[in-house]
Amino acid sequence: MDHIRWLLGRVATAALTMFGVSVLIFAAVRAMPGSYTELVLGPLATQAEKASAAARFGLDRPVVEQYWHWLSNAATGDFGTSLVTRAPVAAEFGDRLPVTVTLTALALALTVLIGIPLGVYTGTRDSGGRGGVLGRLVSAFGMSLPEFALGSLVVFLFTRYRLGLTVGNYVPWSQDPLGSIGSLFLPACVLAVFCVAATARTTRDAVLGVLVEPHIAAAVARGEPKGFIVRHHVLRNASVPVLTLVATLSAYLLGGAVIVERLFNVPGLGSYVVDGLDRRDYAVIQAGVLLAAVVFIAANLLVDLVSGLIDPRISVLAKGAGS
Amino acid sequence: MKATAVRVRRALAMRSGDGLLRGAVWVLLALVLATLVGQLTGAGGRPDAIVGPRLQPPGSGWLLGTDNLGRSLLPRLLQGIGTTLLLSTLAVACTAVISTALGVVAGYRGGRTAELILRIGDVLYSFPAIVLAVLVAAVLGPGRTTALAAIVLVTVPLMTRMVGVAARAVARREFVTAARISGVSAPTIMLRHILPNVAGTVAVQGTYALSVGILVEGGLSFLGYGVQLPDASLGLLIQEGGLYMVGAPWLIVAPGVVLVAAIMAINLVGDSLRDRFEPRETRSLV
Repeated sequence: MDHIRWLLGRVATAALTMFGVSVLIFAAVRAMPGSYTELVLGPLATQAEKASAAARFGLDRPVVEQYWHWLSNAATGDFGTSLVTRAPVAAEFGDRLPVTVTLTALALALTVLIGIPLGVYTGTRDSGGRGGVLGRLVSAFGMSLPEFALGSLVVFLFTRYRLGLTVGNYVPWSQDPLGSIGSLFLPACVLAVFCVAATARTTRDAVLGVLVEPHIAAAVARGEPKGFIVRHHVLRNASVPVLTLVATLSAYLLGGAVIVERLFNVPGLGSYVVDGLDRRDYAVIQAGVLLAAVVFIAANLLVDLVSGLIDPRISVLAKGAGS
Repeated sequence: MKATAVRVRRALAMRSGDGLLRGAVWVLLALVLATLVGQLTGAGGRPDAIVGPRLQPPGSGWLLGTDNLGRSLLPRLLQGIGTTLLLSTLAVACTAVISTALGVVAGYRGGRTAELILRIGDVLYSFPAIVLAVLVAAVLGPGRTTALAAIVLVTVPLMTRMVGVAARAVARREFVTAARISGVSAPTIMLRHILPNVAGTVAVQGTYALSVGILVEGGLSFLGYGVQLPDASLGLLIQEGGLYMVGAPWLIVAPGVVLVAAIMAINLVGDSLRDRFEPRETRSLV
């Protein structure tokens, strides 16, 4: 019962955040310099033409009504039409979604397969010794490589020298599934460097936090083998912060991989939204930024729900703390 | 006076495994010093002066090579380091003030005030950093102010939350209750009792925010929304260098190395501060 109440509270908070996000996006787009009608009609339009265009787009209505119109349409999957291509925004997003999902999945796979084992390994070894310093150095290095610097370097190396993979030739999934993965492999690696470093670090911290708990000492005293202790006592207890981080990372990969997508010419969601900002393509901006935020909020909600299952203490403690 | 001196010395004392921290501090000092010397004495030449042929590799008249207009890279790099560090530091100072104030109030007051502050933070936190930054650029127009505002908006939510958590823990302690019972006013309690006890968290989070700030400034300038030509910043120099990468790789290598070194040094300082202010018991399984 407590658990259900806690879940409902989390869902309500997420809905509230979503509402705030939509208001902020709407306000930001309205605050951008330059008017929509001027953009559509060009600088030489007469006052009458502007007025009729404003009426046609519903821009003469009260702001609250415009907001509600946009939000209710967005909720049904209608994000309006792009100013540039005149195509429905939803269709354009549909075209780009598989690309972004593949890229995210590749980067996340690398992150989980490398980052978590690395974190567990360094976490269960002596942290004060030379290995610990090396681990700190490597993870700090990985987290300090900006994707625009690392990406530029990779693009340079792979265009200058023949290294097997080509840069910038995105192959659609429908043409050649294997080739598609091959064409997304390099950008995924660039994205994964930061994610692996961050995941390894968080995993290490979480593992270290669990190791000092009395039940681990008890398990050691009972003579349980080390591998068994790690698998049965440490991993589940250390998984919540790692899960939270992975969710944050995946949301960021789905909507914020702008720079890598641009560098590698990948037609993904993030770069589409930023292109929209360049061209003042209002429908695209509103839809794209909203989508990115919604993905983030949904991913976090999902993690909260799963964390409550993994570690029942979370929902009980949250209720007790009253916050 | 003497006690303070001892405390400062102890805070600065490097423990055995802390060669990393020492290296990081030296790197940061060197960068700041190089920028100051470059700006004050004009060593390395004027950033906008054309000193030789275009796209020359490093040589005697141009220590780090020349760019596509025949300008020497060294003074531009110094200018870029200065811009990037100044901009990020200024932005993070703003973040620190805002987040500390909001976090301490949220932590001490609790209840609805805290809820309101945290929910507003959640809204900002829901945007991918670079998307939020570009959105700010679209509203304000590209430039330094935009970069500054973007860094503040990206870093405020997390820092506010962390300071809030720390302040909440302090607010529950006995000396705060004692102060409240003896009739000390709320602003005084927050200023005198809570603030000094969350200073460590502020330092740690501020340091991490600085590295995020440099990343955001770099990303924005790289996309063309941040610092504008003919000014220079590390992100802008890397973006420019990227255009001539195949023929003149030195244009991207030098700013790239400096940027990575700066961020890494700041992160390492942050790690050390965290170990110091939030010490944890550790035990290995071996």
